[in-house]
Amino acid sequence: MKPHLSLTRTLTTLTLATLLAACAGPGPKPNSELQSAESAIKQAEAADARRFEPVLLNEAKNKVADARGLMDKERYKEARRLLEQAEVDAQLAGARSETEKAQQAVAEINSNIENLRKQINSNQQ
Amino acid sequence: MNLTLSIGFAVGLLALVTGCASTPRQNAGIDEARAAYTEIERDPNVARSGAAQLRQAKIELDRAQALLNEGADVNRVEHAAYLAKRHAEIAMQQGKRADLEEEVSSAEERRKQLMLQMKSKEANEARMEAEALRAEMAALKAEKTERGMVLTLGDVLFDLNKADLKASGKRTVERLADFMKQYQERRVRIEGYTDSTGSAEYNQGLSERRAKSVQSELLDQGISGNRIEVEGYGEAYPAATNDTSAGRQQNRRVEIVISDESGIINAR
Repeated sequence: MKPHLSLTRTLTTLTLATLLAACAGPGPKPNSELQSAESAIKQAEAADARRFEPVLLNEAKNKVADARGLMDKERYKEARRLLEQAEVDAQLAGARSETEKAQQAVAEINSNIENLRKQINSNQQ
Repeated sequence: MNLTLSIGFAVGLLALVTGCASTPRQNAGIDEARAAYTEIERDPNVARSGAAQLRQAKIELDRAQALLNEGADVNRVEHAAYLAKRHAEIAMQQGKRADLEEEVSSAEERRKQLMLQMKSKEANEARMEAEALRAEMAALKAEKTERGMVLTLGDVLFDLNKADLKASGKRTVERLADFMKQYQERRVRIEGYTDSTGSAEYNQGLSERRAKSVQSELLDQGISGNRIEVEGYGEAYPAATNDTSAGRQQNRRVEIVISDESGIINAR
């Protein structure tokens, strides 16, 4: 009876130790980071980043793909870093696209105004 | 001698150590991030529209510096610096975009004003054009009738019983030609009429000759033939009684009917 008990104790201790080691190693799975990065990419695409910032957008996508690979190997810490970078990359791609669109809107309305002005001036003659 | 050397060595070492400690640790990634952050830190557009990202940039920047100072793994330092730089860049874009959007909305206001200005200008021009036409018609002494504007060349503008236009008649036709040059879409119908004195045949002939005489004067003035119709009516359609000499004089006339702006003339 006594050796059996000691075996159970040993096993429990071992399991606990393994668990602890696991936790200390790769850390928790970066699921929420993955979600954030992917939604940032979607938002960037909605802002026409594919057209205005394709390089930066692809960088973000590649980082997510690499992060998925790392997660499969349980290298969560590295994966998290990549995902955090992918998120800000995508956000920047989206922000630059929005700026570019606003720039175009300004140019369009200004040329519109210029035309109107020309018409008014030519009518005056 | 040996002692002096040892002391000198110790002093040198101390100086080196102190020097290292007083120099803040440096990292190129952090420097870049700080530069990006400093550039927009005081930008009012960023303050208005990129505040959250700006704050995020500051947090990551401070974190990167703290990690560097405590001698953390360089990957951790550079990761934090990377995030700081990106957040600063995003904040800058948000500020720019807000500025541009403000520009668009103020330009839209300006455009609205210009369009109003143009509309009133157009209305004004249309009004002035109509006014000019009315004045021209009045100068020609054209009268408004149910057939349109009608210019009457009285008997006095022709030689008696002849078709030739007198100088005063020619001047009137000249004015008509000027009018037709200005209003290219207008056409005319020249109609000759006589009183009932003499044979109907003669009167028919005279009315046609007088109408044609006006036509040839218009052609001489450079008006194209397809803008002119000619008709002689002889004694028909008297304007007044043929029983008095004043009435007969009124009946001897050439009427010029001016078309509407689409060139249409109502024939009798």
